[in-house]
Amino acid sequence: MAGVQVANLSRSFGAHKALDDVSIDFADGGFYALLGPSGSGKTTLLRQIAGFDFPDSGRIAIGGESVERVPVEKRRIGMVFQNYALFPNMSVADNVAFGLSVRGEAKATIASEVQRALDLVQLGKLGARRPHQLSGGQRQRVALARAIVTKPRVLLLDEPLGALDKALRVDMQIELKRIQREIGITTIFVTHDQEEALTMSDRIGILRDGRLVQEGPPEEIYDKPKSEFAATFLGDANILRGETTGTGIRLADGTAIAAGAGATLAAGAKASCAVRPERIRIGTDSGTSDPNANMLRGQISKRIFAGNNSTYFVDRDGQTIKVIVQNTGVEKLAEGQKVVLRWSPESTVLIAASQDMD
Amino acid sequence: MAGQVVTGSRSGLRSALPLLLPAYLWLTVAIFLPLSAMVFFSFMTELPLSGRAWSFTLDNYATFFSQGLYWTLLLASLRLGLEVTLWCVVIGYPAAYVLAKVFRGRSREAIFLLVILPFWSNGLVRIFSWAMVLREGGILDTALNAVLPFKINIDLMYSYPAVIIGLVHSYVPYMVLTCYLTLQAIDDSLIEAGRSLGASRLQMLKRVIIPLSMPGLVAGAALIFVPVVGSFMEPRILGGRTGTFYGTVIEDQFVAVFNWPLGAALSFILLAVVLVILALASPVLKRVA
Amino acid sequence: MATTRILEWCGRLYIWLLLAFLYLPIIIMALMSFNVSPFYQLPFEWTTEWYASLWLNDQLISATWNSIEIAIITTVISTVLGSAASLALYRHEFRGKKALQALLFPPIAIPWLITGTAMLIFFFGVGIGRGLFAILLGHVALALPYVIVVVSARLQTFAPELEEAARSLGANQWQVTSRVTLPWIMPGVIAGGLFAFAVSFDQFVVSYFLSTPGQTTLPVEIYAAIRKGFTPEINAVSTIIIVVSMALMLLTARSFKFGGEK
Repeated sequence: MAGVQVANLSRSFGAHKALDDVSIDFADGGFYALLGPSGSGKTTLLRQIAGFDFPDSGRIAIGGESVERVPVEKRRIGMVFQNYALFPNMSVADNVAFGLSVRGEAKATIASEVQRALDLVQLGKLGARRPHQLSGGQRQRVALARAIVTKPRVLLLDEPLGALDKALRVDMQIELKRIQREIGITTIFVTHDQEEALTMSDRIGILRDGRLVQEGPPEEIYDKPKSEFAATFLGDANILRGETTGTGIRLADGTAIAAGAGATLAAGAKASCAVRPERIRIGTDSGTSDPNANMLRGQISKRIFAGNNSTYFVDRDGQTIKVIVQNTGVEKLAEGQKVVLRWSPESTVLIAASQDMD
Repeated sequence: MAGQVVTGSRSGLRSALPLLLPAYLWLTVAIFLPLSAMVFFSFMTELPLSGRAWSFTLDNYATFFSQGLYWTLLLASLRLGLEVTLWCVVIGYPAAYVLAKVFRGRSREAIFLLVILPFWSNGLVRIFSWAMVLREGGILDTALNAVLPFKINIDLMYSYPAVIIGLVHSYVPYMVLTCYLTLQAIDDSLIEAGRSLGASRLQMLKRVIIPLSMPGLVAGAALIFVPVVGSFMEPRILGGRTGTFYGTVIEDQFVAVFNWPLGAALSFILLAVVLVILALASPVLKRVA
Repeated sequence: MATTRILEWCGRLYIWLLLAFLYLPIIIMALMSFNVSPFYQLPFEWTTEWYASLWLNDQLISATWNSIEIAIITTVISTVLGSAASLALYRHEFRGKKALQALLFPPIAIPWLITGTAMLIFFFGVGIGRGLFAILLGHVALALPYVIVVVSARLQTFAPELEEAARSLGANQWQVTSRVTLPWIMPGVIAGGLFAFAVSFDQFVVSYFLSTPGQTTLPVEIYAAIRKGFTPEINAVSTIIIVVSMALMLLTARSFKFGGEK
C-alpha cells in the first residue's frame, strides 16, 4: 500500500488544457473521490495516475517513488473500468487470474489467490462462468476482484457504478466501501455523481476545466465551499451577490447579509454568499425570534412536493431562492403566498467573486 | 473517450510504424511504384531494357488522340460499362429489395449468401460456363427448340449480347450486395409510417426508399462500371471477333504486339478515366463503407 | 393484404429466377464435364474420363501446384502483414492515418488490367521479371487490402478498454496482444486469410501478365486452353476450381458474418 502524490501536474491536448497545475496528496489507505462535470479533467487525472498517458510537466509519486514516466504495466496499480472491461474470451476465474498469470506466478498460487479474491467479492462459486453470463452487479464484482488480486499499491476506479441502476448502485457503494476497508488500499475514485462522492469518500477533490477547485473532507467542502462553483456543484446552494462588508455582503437593494464563515475580504469588493436550501426557514410572520438571523422577503412562485420534503421556489427581487422543508404536516404554504425567509449567519458562507463564475 | 485519442496522439506514428511498414512497403513495391512506373513508361519511345536507345516522347498519347480507333474503342468500352451497369441495376436492385424486405431470418441469410457466393468464386470459369449455354447446339438452343414448335437457331456465342450477359452475370451480385446493405438499414416502421400517411407503394418507392438507398446504388454502379470498362478476358471468350474493346487492345500491346510504351499510355488513360469516376463516387462510397 | 401477398410471392419467384441465372450455367458446365461427348452433344451419358485425363496433363497439374503454393504463401504473408497493419491502424492515432486507409482502396478498385500491366512494366524495369515470384509479389499486394479491411472490421467491435485493462494488470505489449487482442480478432484473421487464399487462387488477370510459359497458374492455363478451343477437360478442371472456391467462401462466411442481419 502506498499514498499517491500528484504535484503541479499539467497536460494539454493541442490548445486544450486538460490538466492545469493540479496538486493533490492522496493519503495512504484513504478513499478519495475526484468529482467534476464531464470535461473537467478528472478522468485525465486518473489516467495519468494509472499511466495510460504521461504528463507534460509535474510529478506523480506512488509510495514516494516517482512514476510519471513509468508505463501502466509497471506501475502496479489496479483499475476498474466504467464498462468493467472483462475479457470476453476468458472465464471469470481466468479474468481474475490474468494479472497473476502474466506475472508468471505458480499455478497453485494463482488458483488460491483467485479463489480468495472471488470470495472477498462474494462470487466464490461463479469462477467457471463467462462474463456474458453475469449480471451487471456481478461483472462489477469480478472487475473489482481482478483489480485487487494482484495486490496493487493503489486502486483506481473510473465511474465504476455508472452503468448500474439506482438500487444496485447503492448496494455496490456499501460493498465497495466494505472491501476497501477490509484490504485498506489507497483508492481513487472518479465520479460525476456528487451523492456518491459524499457518501463514499473520506476526501473529495473537485475539478473544473482542468484545475483543482477545492479539496478536503466531504463535510468541509459542503459547509465551507470556497467558490460558487464548489457550492453549487457539491449539493445545492442559493447564491446571493453583492458588495462585501467584511463579515458579509450588502445586496443591491441595501439588505445586509451576515456570513459566519468563509473568506476574509476587504470591504467594498464584489462577493457572494452561499446558503444551502435546507438551512433556510420559511414562514409567513415577520416577528423576529432571532435578531441576528438573515432575513429576506419574497413570494412563493412554485412548490414541488417530494414525499418527505417539499421544495419552495421563492421569488425575490428578480432572483429565485430555493428552500427545502421537511414535511412535518404542520405547515403548508401555497403558491403565490408572501413569505419571510430566515437563516443563521453560521449557515452562510462568504465567497470572493472569482473568475470561475461567469 | 477523450482518453483514447490521447494515448494515441502521444504514441503516434512512431510506435505504429513497425506494424504498418511491412504491409505498406509491400503495397508500395507491388502497386504504387508499378503504377508510377507505368506513367513514366508511357512517355518513352522504346523499352529501356533491350539496350536500344530511348528518349522521352509524347507520341504514345498523340497516337491515342490522333487515331480514331483508340477513341472509338474507349467509347465502346465506356458504353459497355454503362450498359452492363444499367442491367445490373435493373436486375439487382429489385432482388436486393425483395431480399431485404420480404425474406426474414435464416432464409434471408442463406439466400443472401447464395447470391454473393458466385461473386467470390472464379470469374474466368464463370465466363467460360456461359459458352456452354450460349453456343449453337448449346443448352439454350436445344432447350428452346425442344419447347418451340418451329425451328430457330440460337447462336448468341461470339456476339455483343453474349459479352453483356457474361458481364452482368459476373457483376450483378455486387449490385445486390451494396443495395441490400443500404436497403436493410431502412427501418420497416418508416415504410409503415409512409403508408399510414396515405402514400401508395409506388410513391413510397420513389420518394423514400430509392432516395435512402441511393448510396448503395451509386456504390454498386461505380464498383461495377470501373472493372467492366477495363475488362478484356470476358470479351475475348464470349465476344470472339466482335469482342474487341479498349481492354483487349491494351492486352494486345503487352502480350501480342509488344508495344509496351503505347500499352502504358493506353493503360494510364484508362486509369485516369477510372480515377475520375471513383473520385466522383467517393463521397457516396465513403458513406456506404 | 391480398396484393401484398401476391407481390411478396412475385418477389420470391424473382429471387429464385435470379439464382437460376447465377447458377444454371455453372451447373451445366459441371454436368458437361461428366458427359461422354467431347463436343458437348446430348443425350447425356455419364463418364469420369475427363477427370481421369486431367491426371495425365502434366502442364495442368504443375500449374495447379503453382496455384496452390502461391495461394498458401500469399495467405500466410498477407494475413500476418495485414493483421499487423490493422492493429497499428486501430491502436494509434497519427496524422495521415486517413490517407493510409484511403490507400487501401486503389488496389481493390483499380481494374486488374491496369494493375497487372503496371506490375509487368515495373517488375521488368527493376529486374524481377516475370514468373512465380512476380506473381506472388502481386497476389500478396492484391490480398492485403482485403485482409486489412476484414480484420479492421472485426477490430471495430473490440473495446479498447480491454487492452488497457490488461496493461493495468501488468501485461506487456506482447502479452496484451497475444492473450487479449488476438483471441478476439481471430475470427476476422481467419476470414481475412480465407479471403486472401480465394483472391490468390482465383486470380487470373494479374497472373496472366506476370506468368511465363513454364511458370504459370491454373486460371492462366485454363484461359490458354479456352482460347485454343473448348474441351470437356476444361469443364472438368473448371468444375473443380469452382467447387473449391465456393467451398472456401462458405467457410469464410461461417467464420465471419459479412452483411446479413443487423
